[in-house]
Amino acid sequence: MSTKMIYLQPVPVRIWHWLNAFGIITLCVSGAQIRFPEYITLLGSYRSAIMLHNTAGIVVALSFSLWFIYYKLVANSLADIYIPKGSDLTTGLFRQAVFYFFAYFFGVPNPHHATPGSKFNPLQKSAYLTIMFVLMPFVSLTGILLMNVGPMREIVLLIGGLKLIVAVHFLLACSLTAFLFTHVYLATMGKTPLAYFKPMWTGWEKDEHPEAEQAHFQTRLP
Amino acid sequence: MKPASRSQLKKQGIIMVLLLMSCIATSSLTHGGDYSFGDSLSKNVACLACHGDQPRVGSKNYIEPTNFGHTTHAKFGCTTCHDAISSTHPDGKSIARTTGCGDCHANIIAQYFASIHGDKTTCSGCHNPHTVFSPEEISVSGMNKQCAGCHDNNRIVATHSKWLPQTDLHLGAIACIACHSKAENYVINIYIAKRNYDPDTTLELAGYEELLRRSGSDSLHYLIDRNRDSYISLDELRKFNHDPANKDLYLKAMLTPVKPTHDFQTFDNRWDCSFCHASGPEVMQTSYLSLPQQNGTFQQVAVEKGAAMDALRAMPDFYLMGSTRNGLLNKIGFLIIAGGLVMPVGHGFLRFLSRKNRT
Repeated sequence: MSTKMIYLQPVPVRIWHWLNAFGIITLCVSGAQIRFPEYITLLGSYRSAIMLHNTAGIVVALSFSLWFIYYKLVANSLADIYIPKGSDLTTGLFRQAVFYFFAYFFGVPNPHHATPGSKFNPLQKSAYLTIMFVLMPFVSLTGILLMNVGPMREIVLLIGGLKLIVAVHFLLACSLTAFLFTHVYLATMGKTPLAYFKPMWTGWEKDEHPEAEQAHFQTRLP
Repeated sequence: MKPASRSQLKKQGIIMVLLLMSCIATSSLTHGGDYSFGDSLSKNVACLACHGDQPRVGSKNYIEPTNFGHTTHAKFGCTTCHDAISSTHPDGKSIARTTGCGDCHANIIAQYFASIHGDKTTCSGCHNPHTVFSPEEISVSGMNKQCAGCHDNNRIVATHSKWLPQTDLHLGAIACIACHSKAENYVINIYIAKRNYDPDTTLELAGYEELLRRSGSDSLHYLIDRNRDSYISLDELRKFNHDPANKDLYLKAMLTPVKPTHDFQTFDNRWDCSFCHASGPEVMQTSYLSLPQQNGTFQQVAVEKGAAMDALRAMPDFYLMGSTRNGLLNKIGFLIIAGGLVMPVGHGFLRFLSRKNRT
C-alpha cells in the first residue's frame, strides 16, 4: 500500500482548534463548579472558577472569530467544508452511519477520504454545522449576556430573563460536553488511535492509497 | 334642712361643671409636669398638632404624622422618650432628655458599639426614631440608603469592584447588611420596580399611589394576587410579567437577611462567594412580594415556595448562580451528557470485541 502525506490542517485552523479544545474543557470544568459549587471545588474558590470561566469564554469566543475569519475570508471554503451537499444528505449520511455502526466492526475501511477540500465525512459535516453555526454562537452569546447582566439588562429581559438565558447556556454547554466525548472518541478511530490527532498538531496526515482501500472496502463487506 | 333656692341650685350646678371640667383636664397630665399631651388614646395628638405642621415648627422639629404613627415608638407615645418637657413648652429652650435608645434596646446597643462601626456614629446616625420600622417593612434599597448616608456610592462600587465580579449587579440586588452583619438567614424580597432603559439610572421602586391606580382596587396586592387569596403563586407572577399593561414595570428580586444584626463589619466568610452561591437551592425557596404602603412602609405577601427556583419568567431578573439552579434542567443536562457517552462506551465496547477484524 502506497502512502503519501497531505497537508490537511493549516496553522490558523490548528491554533483555533487547540484554543477551542482547551478553552471548552476549561469551560466545562469551571462551569460545573459554578453550577454545583457544593459538590465541585476542583478549581479552588468560587471566584477563581468564575474568573477562569469568563477568561476561557473570551478565549473561545475569540478563537471562534479566528475560525470564521479564516474559513470565510482567507480560505473562502467555509460553505464547501461545513455545509453538506445534496449527495451527502441523500446517500452520504446513510453510508457513513452504516460504516460507524456496522461495517467498522468487520474491518471495512472508512468510505470517506479526507482531503483539504473535503475534510469531513457527511456525518461530520452535519455535526460540525450544528456545533459551529448553532451551539457555539448561542452558547457564546448567552455567555456574553451572563457576563454583562448589568449593562445588558434590557436585552436579558427582552429575551425572557436571566433564568431562560442560564437554562439555554447550560443545556447548550451540556450538548457541547456530550459532543466533546463523542468527538474525542471518534478521533481515535483512525488506523492507529493517534492517527487523527497528529494532523491536528502537525498539519500533515497520512493518506492511504484510495484505490487500494476502495478494493479492500469491497472485499471485506460481509 | 331648708330647701335650696333656685339661684343656689344654679350656682352649685356651675361649680360642679367647673369641677368636672378641671378633673378631665388634669387627668391627662401624665408626664411633663403641667403640659397636656392629650388623652391616652391619642397621646401624640397634642404634640403633633404643632410638630406635624412643618411651617409652624420648621423642618428640624417636624414629625411626619403618617410615618410616625405607624412606628412602634408612636405606640409608646412621645413622652416615653421626651419625658422632660416642662410646663412652659414651647418656650424656645432646648429640652433635656433623660432616656436613650439603650433603655429599650440594650442588647442592640451592646452589639453595635462592639462592632467596628461603633465609634463612627450613634443610633440616630442611621435611624430616625420617628420613622423607624421593622426590617420586613423596609425595602432593601431603603436599608441601603441608610448606609449611603455616609458611604459614598461611587466609592462603594470602586472598592467592591476590586474583587467582586459584576459589582453593580451584586450591589443592586443585595442588602449591604447581608454581607456586613452576622445575619445568616436570607429570603428573596420581590419589589415592583419601574423599568428604566438607562442602565446608569439607579433602581426606582414603583410607589403606592401609582400601583394603587393600576390595581383598580383598594389593595395593591390584587395587582398580582388575581385570585385574591393573599398568596402569590408562580403563575400569578408570570401573568404579571406577561401583561402588556405592566411593560414599564418589572419584578426586582433582592436578597435580604431575615433578622438583621448590628455587629457591622466585614466577615471573612463573606469574601468567599460560596457563602451565597453554594448555599444550596433549599435556602432560596422562600420569597415575599414586598408592596409599598401608604405610610411609607412595605408589606410582605407570601410567594409560592420555590419562586427563586422557577426556570421561566416568574422572576426574570433574578438568578443566583449555584443556588437557584433548576433541578429539572440538571436532569435534562445529565441525560444529554450521558447521551454523549453512548458512543465511547457502547461503540467502544463493540470495537473492543471486534478488534481482531481490523488487524
